[in-house]
Amino acid sequence: MTEVRAPRIELAGVTRTYGASTPEEVQALRGVDLTVEPGDFVSVEGPSGCGKTTLLNLLGLLDSPTSGEVRWDGRPVGARSDRERTRLRLEGVGFIFQRFYLLPTLTARENVELPMRALRVPRAERTPRASALLAEVGLTPRARAYPHQLSGGEEQRVAVARALANDPGLLLADEPTGELDSRNTRAMLDLLVRVREARDATLIVVTHNREVAGRARRHLEMVDGRITRDVREG
Amino acid sequence: MKPFRWGRPLRHARLQAILAVAAMGAAVALPVVLVSVGGGVFAHELSEVENAGYQIAVSAPGVHSIADAHSDVSRFGAVPGVTYVSPILSIAVNAFNSSGSASAVLAEGVIPGQFSPTLGSAESGLFPNPLPLGDPTDLIHYAGGTYRGPATNDVLVSSPYADSHAVHVGSSLALGLTANRSGAVAYNVTGIFGVAPTILGPVGAFAILLPLSNLQLMTGYANGTGTIVPDAADTVQVVVAGSVAANPSSLDRVRSEIQAMVPDYGVSSLSQEAAQLQSADSVLTGFYFALSSVGLAVGLLFLALVLLRRVETDRRSIGIRRAIGLPRRAIAGKILAEGLELSAAGAGAGLLGGYLLVRGIATYATSTVQEAAQLALFSPVQLGEIVLGVLGLSVLASAVATRSALRIPISEALR
Repeated sequence: MTEVRAPRIELAGVTRTYGASTPEEVQALRGVDLTVEPGDFVSVEGPSGCGKTTLLNLLGLLDSPTSGEVRWDGRPVGARSDRERTRLRLEGVGFIFQRFYLLPTLTARENVELPMRALRVPRAERTPRASALLAEVGLTPRARAYPHQLSGGEEQRVAVARALANDPGLLLADEPTGELDSRNTRAMLDLLVRVREARDATLIVVTHNREVAGRARRHLEMVDGRITRDVREG
Repeated sequence: MKPFRWGRPLRHARLQAILAVAAMGAAVALPVVLVSVGGGVFAHELSEVENAGYQIAVSAPGVHSIADAHSDVSRFGAVPGVTYVSPILSIAVNAFNSSGSASAVLAEGVIPGQFSPTLGSAESGLFPNPLPLGDPTDLIHYAGGTYRGPATNDVLVSSPYADSHAVHVGSSLALGLTANRSGAVAYNVTGIFGVAPTILGPVGAFAILLPLSNLQLMTGYANGTGTIVPDAADTVQVVVAGSVAANPSSLDRVRSEIQAMVPDYGVSSLSQEAAQLQSADSVLTGFYFALSSVGLAVGLLFLALVLLRRVETDRRSIGIRRAIGLPRRAIAGKILAEGLELSAAGAGAGLLGGYLLVRGIATYATSTVQEAAQLALFSPVQLGEIVLGVLGLSVLASAVATRSALRIPISEALR
């Protein structure tokens, strides 16, 4: 697998507006300036609808700003082709979505293997790796289960395993422990922190959970599409 | 409850797939039926032309008939390479059986000795050989260019007529031009002949064969009444020697010489007719495909709509794949594979449906349609072309759906 180091990400005056010039217009982000250093562990907190997920999408190259600029390692993302951005996502970003977003027609193991398949990792390599990741999230017995056969917590853990599949340098997690009990929440956090430390990866977590936020080294708070607080520990 | 959550869209997707396959199947079945039946009929016609016992036909149907038929036998027969010359006059007459009821029959007047060699391999077994019509040269009755010689009044009848009217060898049959029996002439039935299966032409099931001069006399052709010339035929079939028949330039030389003798008549070699038939077959096959393209366009439109609907249904899945980093070609490949899968299933269903439809028509339809379907030829090459064409076009339908899929904004698909 390609070794991808964590990127330095900068957002300069970024706004994101949905449904511009329509009655449904929503300004999700309003002039956000932010720099995320490689290896940062950032928590993002704020009320629902304040733009946390939009911020995550922009950081992970899933979306483009309406105005302002997003830069990866100093290079504007807008200057990269769609193919380049796709490749960066595949090799360098692991997403843990709020609603899991597992593919319903694939088993847990196949979902975990999917990013590796896209990266053309040979079967002999990807199958043991998928098994190891599922074992790490405690789902070895459920490897052949389809998403509809899994509980919410199990789906969440498969989503985490999938996000780690390609050893990304940037991990973006949107409420990663929302469906987990306190014991599993701690286990999941331990796993994410361990992965981050082992690879010096950047971990950005959107959360309402105080325990999760408490483990981060940097804390962002958002209100109405703006970052209202940015506190770095130590 | 969760399994049910996936059950609904699955059933929905299956229904869409079934409808798409059905639409493609119907679109494919049409050209399969048209091409196989059309091709079969043409192959049959071509085979008849190629297996005829004669190689050159002189024709002048209708009131302008070929004058001096007996004389032409001598003139054409003198052309080097010509072995037999058989003039034929075909006219519908009335046949009165012993009960006095009249039936329309197709009467063919021939010179018996010249007629038999013109029969092809499929026909020769249907006629007695030699023809039991007496007067083999027809020159006893047509003596010295007149009709004063003794007429044999022999006639052969077709087996369908003989069966339906209880006529047999030795029976007497009155023949006349009008429905008035008093003007009819009594003939002796001296033989029965079979009728070859025919297609797309007048069915000569009720037919009789008699000496040319007898028919000319009976119908007034011999007397020159009205505007009709005496001693007429409508066709002259010419048989050439094997060496001439095998050499196209020699055959054309003979044809040209005969044409020079009768510049007002049509003179063609059967190889020319075969070439014309093949040319017509190509044109008609193209027409069949053009006609079928309407059905194919509808089928492909339906396929494109189903694929677009699937893209809409799979919007989130596509968004997830794109978010994970699957390249565009992976998304396109998946949609293309779905399109090809559906169209291949549709093509298979269409092939099977078309085959069964043709077999059904061949079994249950009536008359000419049934006979045509019985001749159907399922050419693997043509069927393969149809399937490849459909698969090729389905790529277009998939491209439309792919374009739509790749334009879905990832962040919106994941909302």
